[in-house]
Amino acid sequence: MNDILRVGKYTNNYMKLKWSNYELAKSFDEYINSDNKVRSHIRKIGNFFESLSLTELQELNSSTESSIKSLGINFRVYSDTGSEERNWPLDFIPRIIKKKEWDQVSKGLIQRTKALNLFIEDCYNEQKFLKQSSMNDDLILKSKAYFSFCKNVKLPNSAWSHICGSDLIKDIKGDFHVLEDNLRIPSGVSYMLENRYVMKRVFPDLFSHYGVSRIDEYPLRLYETLVDSSFRNTKSPEIVLLTPGIYNSAYYEHSYLAQQMGIDLVEGRDLVVKNGYVYKKTIEGLSKVDVIYRRVDDAFLDPEVGNPKSVLGVRGLIKCWKNKTVSIVNAPGCGIADDKAVYRYVPDMIKFYLDEECILPNIKTYLMSKKKHRNYVFQNIRKMVIKPVAEAGGYGIVIGKTLNNETEEEIKKKVLGNTKNYVAQPLIDLSTTPTFSRNEISPRHLDLRPFILSGKKTYVTVGGLTRVALKKGSTVVNSSQGGGSKDTWIVEA
Amino acid sequence: MLSRSAKHLYWLARYIERTENIARMIDVNLELILDYPVDHSLNWKPLIDTLDANQYYEKKYKKYNEDNVLSFLFEGTNNSSSIKNCLDMAKYNIETVRDDLPKSASISLNHLHDHIFNESFLKIHKRKRLPYITNIVDLTQEFFSSINDNLSRGYEFEFIRLGRFLERIDMISRIIDCLCITKSDKKTYDFSTMEWISLLSILSAQDAFRKVSKGEVDREEVINFLLQDDSFPRSITRCLSVLRLCLDSLPKNEKIILKIRTLRLRFDTASFESFDDNKLHTFLDKCQKDLITIDKLVEKTYF
Repeated sequence: MNDILRVGKYTNNYMKLKWSNYELAKSFDEYINSDNKVRSHIRKIGNFFESLSLTELQELNSSTESSIKSLGINFRVYSDTGSEERNWPLDFIPRIIKKKEWDQVSKGLIQRTKALNLFIEDCYNEQKFLKQSSMNDDLILKSKAYFSFCKNVKLPNSAWSHICGSDLIKDIKGDFHVLEDNLRIPSGVSYMLENRYVMKRVFPDLFSHYGVSRIDEYPLRLYETLVDSSFRNTKSPEIVLLTPGIYNSAYYEHSYLAQQMGIDLVEGRDLVVKNGYVYKKTIEGLSKVDVIYRRVDDAFLDPEVGNPKSVLGVRGLIKCWKNKTVSIVNAPGCGIADDKAVYRYVPDMIKFYLDEECILPNIKTYLMSKKKHRNYVFQNIRKMVIKPVAEAGGYGIVIGKTLNNETEEEIKKKVLGNTKNYVAQPLIDLSTTPTFSRNEISPRHLDLRPFILSGKKTYVTVGGLTRVALKKGSTVVNSSQGGGSKDTWIVEA
Repeated sequence: MLSRSAKHLYWLARYIERTENIARMIDVNLELILDYPVDHSLNWKPLIDTLDANQYYEKKYKKYNEDNVLSFLFEGTNNSSSIKNCLDMAKYNIETVRDDLPKSASISLNHLHDHIFNESFLKIHKRKRLPYITNIVDLTQEFFSSINDNLSRGYEFEFIRLGRFLERIDMISRIIDCLCITKSDKKTYDFSTMEWISLLSILSAQDAFRKVSKGEVDREEVINFLLQDDSFPRSITRCLSVLRLCLDSLPKNEKIILKIRTLRLRFDTASFESFDDNKLHTFLDKCQKDLITIDKLVEKTYF
């Protein structure tokens, strides 16, 4: 018997979990195979959870919750009635991925991000891809995310989306697919780091047994990426993190990352443009800024070119960027490739720019603007997911199997009203992992958001942020809509 | 350091220090009532005079009685120096600099805020009013001691100290100006000793004062002590020394240091024993004007 079992040894009569009684959902379960046996690389931790009583599980749950509360790990949720801060939801049962499998995923992500960055630069310059591919130019040139001021701009290392967060899911066979790429200002990485911090405190003994790969390199790699983005050739450029302010839902993350990297967390009002340079206002006077890691949307960056009423940005910022006196990370205009209709062409981009086969598969995507695609989708609508092309946070998604005759007509009408605005994908049964809820452990659907950094080198987080739907059967994992999270372990198996 | 952070820290400290001083004034007046004859000769007006808030006060109230004054000092929405307003401003200022401060400091401020906002002072039984006020002072002190014990010395620390001690000088000069000047020439003449002691106790200064002056308490000695003693933490001279220390650690400090030195010189060379009430008032009034100039200079130089 492995000595780790002693952790949960007890003599009372409380019920224990038995994996043979675990009620599998219809999807791929990452812990338990279809014969209700624990998968081989999960065995150790599977045994560990079997050795615990319900009381002990509840204790683990409350010690997880209380350490999140005392560390003040939170996020802000907005509703019609205002906003509130909530404690970050973390399920203490880790998600486990074999290192070998992850290495392959990691390669796929690097390949994908490289192609996407080349694509963005190409769109604003020669437009080679647009000229040769079957992709409709309007998808890019008429996109809301396309800015003519980016034309003819070339950036160091061709990095436009320096920080990319791609959402991955596992299908019924257990293979990873890319669901979407978030190229603008993806968030969540601080929660990935904090989840690990909390888990180490709750399960100190488990970590020493598993050889879980470390993830804490991220802030350092992010810092290097920011340094690489600088137009000024120096080892220590002046870097700031630009936040919309304390009421932003991701403010916790902004403040966390700034602290980890030791850079100033600034708001628009702390910066000013003078004689073609960006400065921050300090007690010693104005101090020149080389790199802005911005967590403010494109539209609000500079009232001169975006929303004229914006107070979150800095007047004249874009001009400085165009003149290369300051770099903006992620670059303005990189959102053109962050669109669910463009997503469909990523494998083609990989072939075109890198002359490689796509390592990480896409999910088949139907463009509702194409009649053939649309007819197919409408005929099979109950097996599909309909998505607006330019929404984030899971908003506006319609899941086919939840429709009735009335709502089906409604969504069809909506799509026909603006076909360019929608795509459809077959409904994928997201994989599940055992998750603790009140008094049982049962399967819940999840996805994974790794983060990819592009500078002189490319870096992929070891694992990423696992998001989990906390309601039985639900596939909505967004924390703003009641989703939770898990620590993600990459283990040698 | 970002100018905005410096500004928030400075005002955070000012508002918390102001809360403490208002609470101290109320505390002492509440205690004095107990020793006063039943003819209600104890006047609550000096408290409002101290804050220079008479015009706002009189918009709402006619009489300067206990209930009105206390309600104005605690709740007064039209009183920018009411305790509730000070704490709201403190909370506002701590928001974006929270991460620069020790966690315990931000927890203390939360406690203080909850203490005031969860239970309205005016609804509390008279018997419980004193402990309620004492608790305010305790919590503000807890806030600052957490800063003193846990925050590294650097710009953050200096801006907090700068705000705190400027506010303290301002409040001390106001308290002396109003309480001592208005009281010394009024009919409550018999109680003068008690009143000098009350002035000292507002500033937690009785014990320290007793060590340097035994026997009957007289005006001259109290004033000398509160204005010129260089070792007591709530004397103006001492506070000026602390300000000087802060500025020595900050950049671009020449103009402000010059201003502080001039002010300090005026305190050092004044012979308060020869000052009558009028002269003292003029002197303190000038001092407050200088403080406003210093505040403006700080604003202009750093924020």
